[in-house]
Amino acid sequence: MNRISNTHHVSLSDVCKRFDDEANGSYVLQDINLEIAHGEFLCLIGPSGCGKSTLLRLVGGLIEPTSGEIRIDRLTPAEAQANKAIGFVFQEPSLLPWRTVADNISLPLEVNLKNNPESARSVSELLHLVGLDGYADYYPSQLSGGMSQRVALARALVSGASLLLMDEPFGALDEITRAVMGYELLRIWNTDKKSVVFVTHNISEAVTLSDRVAVMSRRPGRIVEMVEINLPRPRTRSMERNPAFRRYSEWLHDLLWQGNQNEQAVAR
Amino acid sequence: MNKPSLDNRIEVVGQPRRKLSINWLRLHIPGIGLSYLLPPVIALGIAGAVWEVWTRLASVPTYIVPAPSRVLDRLTGDLLFFAGEGMVTLAEALAGFALGTLVALVGATLMTQSRFIERSLLPLAILVKVTPVVAIAPLFVIWFGFGPAPKVLIVALITFFPVLVNAVTGFRSVDRGAMNFLRSVRASRREIFLKLRVPSAMPYLFSAFRVSSPLAIIGAVIGEWFSANRGLGSVIVVAHANLDMPTLFSAIFVLSLMGIGLTIVLAVIEKKVLFWHESSNVM
Repeated sequence: MNRISNTHHVSLSDVCKRFDDEANGSYVLQDINLEIAHGEFLCLIGPSGCGKSTLLRLVGGLIEPTSGEIRIDRLTPAEAQANKAIGFVFQEPSLLPWRTVADNISLPLEVNLKNNPESARSVSELLHLVGLDGYADYYPSQLSGGMSQRVALARALVSGASLLLMDEPFGALDEITRAVMGYELLRIWNTDKKSVVFVTHNISEAVTLSDRVAVMSRRPGRIVEMVEINLPRPRTRSMERNPAFRRYSEWLHDLLWQGNQNEQAVAR
Repeated sequence: MNKPSLDNRIEVVGQPRRKLSINWLRLHIPGIGLSYLLPPVIALGIAGAVWEVWTRLASVPTYIVPAPSRVLDRLTGDLLFFAGEGMVTLAEALAGFALGTLVALVGATLMTQSRFIERSLLPLAILVKVTPVVAIAPLFVIWFGFGPAPKVLIVALITFFPVLVNAVTGFRSVDRGAMNFLRSVRASRREIFLKLRVPSAMPYLFSAFRVSSPLAIIGAVIGEWFSANRGLGSVIVVAHANLDMPTLFSAIFVLSLMGIGLTIVLAVIEKKVLFWHESSNVM
C-alpha cells in the first residue's frame, strides 16, 4: 500500500467514504490511493454519480473520510483549510449578489482573520489575472456566466491558496465559453503554478487541461486507470485536431464505456 | 492586458457601471411615478364626490354617515388634536413593531443554531400566533396597566410571528456553494451568519415587514380600545359612544394615512437595502 509521502502536494491513502444515511451502507468511494505532485494538473473523470465530487470534497475537507488518510503538504484537510491553502471553485459561481466583484474576491480575506496568509494577493492583481480589469465595481447580476466563474476563480486564488479544487467549474457554460475558459485557466495555471484537481465528465476538456487523468468507475467509485497526457504545453486549440489528442480522447472514451458495460453486466 | 479584452466585453450583459451608492438626498418613492399616482387619486376623487352627492341628495343623517366635507372640516379644524393622538398611536405601533421584530430575530437566530431549539420554540410561537390578540388584550390591561406598556406588548405579540417564520426561512436559504466556500476557508459560524445568512435573509425579512407593519397599527388601536385616554383608538371609542361620526371618520382617515406612510417608508428602505435582489426591479 502507498505510504503517505512528504514530497507530494496531495496524497490519499486507502480512502473510503460511506454516507451514514445510505440505506444499504454501500460505499461511494473505495480504496482511493492518489498522489498529486506540486504544480500538477489532475482531472477526475467518470460517469455521473461515481463520487468524483465526493472525492474533491474529501480533499477539500468539506466532508470526512470513513477510513483512510488524506494529507495536503503534510497537513490534514482541516488544517489546510485553516491556513486558507485550498481554493474551491464550484459548478455554480456562488457569488454573493450584494457584493461587488471586488468585494466578492476579497471575501476569503474577511473571515478567519488570524490565519490570513502573507501570500494574500491584491484584488486588482487578481482582476488583471482573470482578465476582468475595470470590472471591480460591477455586481454579479451584471456579469455573464463565464465572467462570474472568472470572479469565482479569483476568489479562490486571493488567499494565496496553492491547491485549486474545481468541481465541474465550466459545466454550466455554453460550449464556446467553456473552451475559452479552459484555455484561460491554463494560462492562469501557467503563470501561477498551482496544483489543480479538476472534476469533469467532458473527455476533451480533460485531455486539453490535464497532466494526468484519473478515470473512475461507477459506484463504488474507484480509480480504474491513471492516464498520463503526454501532449506538449502550452496546449493550444489546434492541438485538438492532432491525432495524439484524438487517441487520448478515444482511450478515455473506451475506459469510461467499459466501466459502464461492466456495470450493466453486473446488474443483469 | 490593461483593459478588458474583446471577448470579455461581449460577455457583459448589464449596463456598464451602475454606481450603487446610497444617496439619501435623491430619494424617490420607488415605482410611484405620476402614471402610478394619478389613477388611484382620480378614482378616490370620484368615490368621494359620489359619496358627497349621495349624502346630500338622500339627506343621510350625519350620525349615520357624514359627508366627506364634514369629515374634512372636522379634521382640518382640529388638525393638531388628530396629529397628537395619531403620534401616540404611531409611537406605540413603532415601539411594538421594533420589540416584536427584535424578539423574532433573536428567536430566529437561536432556531437557526439548532433544530432542537427550533422544535422547542416553534410550537410556542404558533400557540401565540393562533391565540386571537383581542382575547388577550383585556388581560394585558390588568397586568400592565393603562399606560403605553400593554399596547406596545400587544403590537409586539401580533407582529412577531411573521418576522420569526420568515427570518428562520431566510437564515436557512443560503447558497450552498457560497456556504461551502466559506467553510473551506474556515469561516466561523458567526462569520458565516453575518456575511452570508443575514444578507440572504433580507428579502424574506422585508416580505415579513410588509405583513407585520399594518398589523402593528391594528395592534395599537386594539390596545387603545381596551384601555386608553390617548391615541386614535380611544378617540374612536369616545366618538362612537357619542355618535360623533365626523370625528370617528377623521380618526379612521388618519389611521389609513399612517398605514400608507409606513408602507412607503418600508418600500423605500427595501429598495435601498435589496438593490441586488430581483424584487427591487419589480414594484
